[in-house]
Amino acid sequence: MPVELPKTSLDWATDALEEFDQPRNEETVDANGIRTITQYTTNEDGKKVKVTRRIRRIEKRTLVNHQVAERKTWAKFGAEKGSKPGPDNATTTVGENVTLKLHAGAKNTETTQQEQTKNPLVNKQVKCRLCQGEHFTAKCPYREELQLVGIGDVNADDIPPSDAGPAASAPGGSKYVPPSRRAGGGAGESMNRNRDDLPTLRVTNVSEDASEDDLRDLFSRFGKVFRVYIGRDRETGIGKGYAFVSFEDRANAEKAMQKVHGMGYDNLILNCQWSQPREARPAPA
Amino acid sequence: MRPILLQGHERSLTQIKYNADGDLIFSCSKDHRINVWYSHNGERLGTYDGHNGTIWTVDVDSESRFLISGSADNMMKLWEVKTGKCLYTWEFPTAIKRVAFSEDDNYIACITEQRMGYQGAIRIFQINRKGDGKDQSKEPNFMFHPIESKATVLAFSATSDQLVTGHESGKLTLYNTKTGEEVVSNKRAHREVVTDIQMSPDRSYFITSSKDKSAKLYDTKTLDELKSYTTETPLNSAAIAPGRPYILLGGGQEAMNVTTTSARQGKFETRFWHKIFEEEVGRVKGHFGPINTIAVHPAGTSYASGGEDGFIRVHHFDESYFRARPYGDMEPEEE
Repeated sequence: MPVELPKTSLDWATDALEEFDQPRNEETVDANGIRTITQYTTNEDGKKVKVTRRIRRIEKRTLVNHQVAERKTWAKFGAEKGSKPGPDNATTTVGENVTLKLHAGAKNTETTQQEQTKNPLVNKQVKCRLCQGEHFTAKCPYREELQLVGIGDVNADDIPPSDAGPAASAPGGSKYVPPSRRAGGGAGESMNRNRDDLPTLRVTNVSEDASEDDLRDLFSRFGKVFRVYIGRDRETGIGKGYAFVSFEDRANAEKAMQKVHGMGYDNLILNCQWSQPREARPAPA
Repeated sequence: MRPILLQGHERSLTQIKYNADGDLIFSCSKDHRINVWYSHNGERLGTYDGHNGTIWTVDVDSESRFLISGSADNMMKLWEVKTGKCLYTWEFPTAIKRVAFSEDDNYIACITEQRMGYQGAIRIFQINRKGDGKDQSKEPNFMFHPIESKATVLAFSATSDQLVTGHESGKLTLYNTKTGEEVVSNKRAHREVVTDIQMSPDRSYFITSSKDKSAKLYDTKTLDELKSYTTETPLNSAAIAPGRPYILLGGGQEAMNVTTTSARQGKFETRFWHKIFEEEVGRVKGHFGPINTIAVHPAGTSYASGGEDGFIRVHHFDESYFRARPYGDMEPEEE
């Protein structure tokens, strides 16, 4: 992150002094092999800029035959004559990630998707909010009279539409239905809902390689899992060996705890307990 | 996978070739320039400058020593791959549409266009590989004129005395290069012009693509149809992926109609088809125009596509590509 320092005199003499004053560039390597390079430079506006770069170097070795190795040392020619080795940004760039999923019948799935996106538009019906006729509300011929009487407003806001149930359950229905009114849906997720309210299990001795999805697979057989969190190293992204799993239902969580506690998972024996709220957790020894 | 974008051409690509080891990619374009790139990182090694017209075609020998190119300026040039020097130039009355090295590197074949009162011709030259390569014979060893429909593409079979040509009418012909006579021909191979022909690694079969929206596998000896892949758009190129049972197809709507439709409808994706089951198994998007040419690394680890948009996209396959078994147990054993 560039940090701007106050602008000072642009006199060459002080400039030279400043350069002398500037902290030297630093390069440190931490235990995870991440190299931190800190550089101090002066930008075009005469402001000092501190640039910190964090780099991880990964060495990859490939074996090639002798002819290929020899060709890599060839001098450049033609329009590239005299260019330094390495790709030139003017001609070579790395594109956006593209995916290639190989599966049977790829073509068929695409056409069905297209049909699905087309169909709701075809079946969409125009319905007037005021008189329930088949036209847009703005073009309703009875608009002025109904609005005066106030019927339109009553219809639109206070009485829930009678066909809300079937419309919600039918796929591709165009009308928005709040989650609490959807068929089969309970209370929706609330922003204010505290995740500490949910029954949460603290799982320790988790393998480094286990991912959120792996744990979700493991625990969802006991009931609906609301959230899985794996403690990871901030730098390397490698798991630290603990995870929190929140269930929607306390009974399921209890069942999961009994079953999973002491279970072997990826050569390690899982340890599963109720998660303690932050304040109540005993200080680590 | 993250493709490497090579922006060395100002106009649409006409052909891309990997060398035998797969470490170099040669590309030619309508902007009169041939580029050579390192395939592993997309670095441009150099350019071969000297042509004065659209370069329709390039080919490289198996030692990566000589490069041959054919252009609309009626010239065919032999280049030294390492230095970019032009070693020899042949001049013809009409443009050169396709060139190819034979399996043993000793012969080159070229197709010249039928135009301005000249008949289309196929010429075979013997390459003098001794010395610096500048001493080549001006006259072809053999020359013959295809009858009926003009030839558009060609490739040598496993031996240098036979070559396969694709024609404007959709016909395929196996010629004897020494006598110029037709050994076998398949008049109904395609319904429209054959746009590309690429041999399998052992040259026992080959793939053709055509404007009739299909690509087909043919047996080199008998020209019998082995497999057929039918798509929705005209095809400009087809390639066989070594090591895995896939076929790569490139094409898309004609360049002249591109502005009238969206990229999605244009189908400018590289399409992967299963070689045996003749079904599409995947797509890779990225080009803004039709794909003119596709080449696959000889070891099957990467592929490059060149489009009407002037870009080359080099894709190194992810591990998932090699692990994928779209048809499960029905999948054939690895080649």
